[in-house]
Amino acid sequence: MSAFVDARTLAAGTVLTPDIAIVGGGPAGISLALALAATKLDILLLESGSMNLDPAVQDMYAGSQSGDDYASLDAGRLRTLGGGTNHWGGWCRPLDASDFEKRDWVPHSGWPFPRTALDPYYPRAQALVEAGPWIYDQGDRLASAKAPMLALGNGGLYTSWFQFSKMRGDVLPTRFGVRYEADIKAAANIKPLLNANVTAIRLTPDARSVDRLDVATLTGLRFTVKPRHVVLAAGGMENARLLLASNDVMKAGVGNQNDLVGRFFGDNPIPRDVATLVVFSGKRGPYYGNNLNMGNGAIMRAVFAPTAAFARSRHVMGSLTTMEHPVELDETGKAAVITAAIALGVDASNARAFSVGCGMELMPDPDRRLTLTGEKDALGLPRLKLHMRVTDDDFARYRLTLAELGRQLLASGAGLLRLNCSRREEWLKNMDWGHHHLGTVRMHSDPKQGVVDGDGKVHGLANLHVAGSAVFPTYGASNPTLNLLALTLRLADHLKRIAA
Amino acid sequence: MNRRALLAGLAAAGGALAAGLYRFTDLFVKHYPPTAHDDLLEQLGDRDQAARLGAAVDNAPDAKALAARLRTSLQGDLATAVQADVAAGRLTEVKGWLLPQTVVLLSALAAKS
Repeated sequence: MSAFVDARTLAAGTVLTPDIAIVGGGPAGISLALALAATKLDILLLESGSMNLDPAVQDMYAGSQSGDDYASLDAGRLRTLGGGTNHWGGWCRPLDASDFEKRDWVPHSGWPFPRTALDPYYPRAQALVEAGPWIYDQGDRLASAKAPMLALGNGGLYTSWFQFSKMRGDVLPTRFGVRYEADIKAAANIKPLLNANVTAIRLTPDARSVDRLDVATLTGLRFTVKPRHVVLAAGGMENARLLLASNDVMKAGVGNQNDLVGRFFGDNPIPRDVATLVVFSGKRGPYYGNNLNMGNGAIMRAVFAPTAAFARSRHVMGSLTTMEHPVELDETGKAAVITAAIALGVDASNARAFSVGCGMELMPDPDRRLTLTGEKDALGLPRLKLHMRVTDDDFARYRLTLAELGRQLLASGAGLLRLNCSRREEWLKNMDWGHHHLGTVRMHSDPKQGVVDGDGKVHGLANLHVAGSAVFPTYGASNPTLNLLALTLRLADHLKRIAA
Repeated sequence: MNRRALLAGLAAAGGALAAGLYRFTDLFVKHYPPTAHDDLLEQLGDRDQAARLGAAVDNAPDAKALAARLRTSLQGDLATAVQADVAAGRLTEVKGWLLPQTVVLLSALAAKS
């Protein structure tokens, strides 16, 4: 049993020598530590924050930005135990097999392994997020038993399903710090250290491995960790920041010999009210607009997703389209509904209209990137600057998907769709973000195309790995938490093999 | 006049009145001034709504050109033509509304007739 240790209580100059140091106590770090519990490995879990959010600690996330409007860099992250799961929405959906494939219309696409490599880890990831049984593929059957589903004619989109994380006995998503505090304490080989900020990754002079980590507290205490292996699990922004800032041996930063660290930053744009969907019958199953308990302990919600065949033929990216709140139609809209319904020979006297939203996958873009600035945080680490970019092409591709949804609704006689966004400013007007920080330490078998290899190991360094969504080479439209956990559990198995 | 004759007369008068109301007023069915395209427009169930939609069609050709195009494309009934449009992806946006091309052309014709 290991109690949480406040790093501020350590003696200055302390040198800790664990087998594995995990930098970051968010969902990836906590899950990795727990996956390595009950092994013979000594695990040190370094968390910058503590059990509660401290504004002074959180301030170390602040940064600047250029390009398209984006959330401030400290808005979507929480520097406290449990990390982003302290404010996540709990949306879970596995990435599609096509997300892992080389897509010839998507430059830089292709993971080093197929979806099947993660399949063995998804059930455990699902258990960690407490999203109930794995029934993503059974949504249609369960939903149909509750209320008729919206008929989509044959075509490029199908009804897909989210499941939702939930804390036991509550409706809140699983907050990893609170939920797994006792499990961490119960593991004899895990030493959790709070208020411990890694300020540098120090390499051996030959730049072939990590020698040590410099760690500091906001009280001014500094100490050293000399682990056999290091795993960065500090999030999609902070992993890149630590690598870039650790530039005493490798001048461009650790793992940045090919100028890839910080590039390809991704997130899932969530533009609101992108379309208006009219259901001619006026009847909509409750699982379209709300997260619905389907029984079996699973909370689910229906979305519309493009098929792999449609994506290939029309060169669209991933997207998950949601039905939202009811809306009123203007006179042109009413005329469109009445005229179309008569032409289709269906009754639209009870028609209802709904706003449509989505989560989009962006095209990988090396110029959407994080760089260091001259401004420093309280511990002397350079702050980040994000150059954000969403292109018209990103929106245009998603618009093709929406248009196909509209076509399918007409084909089935179920409804009608209005595309609400054409111009760039219309897309950006109601833009929200998933706060999914992806891709900045991308994974590729070729060191010239990726910072880490298929095992998450930084190319060229024997004992440095990266966990979390920073390594996603393409992003998918699914929310990343479930997927990064599966990837982390796979990394745990790899570490057991090499570190034992 | 016996009772049977009286009832027959009333029925005849009522029938004539209903026929007159149907033919000469909009009480039962909306009547429109005759146009050269009534063979096409009669396929619209609600010509007023179609005209409202058609008025929002951007860059619509004139009525004569619309009618000529529809006479070529609309060979069978409207429902069949609409399903053919949808299957082939022949959709047109009207103020963002994704509609079968034939519906849009007919609506534009209604607006211009």
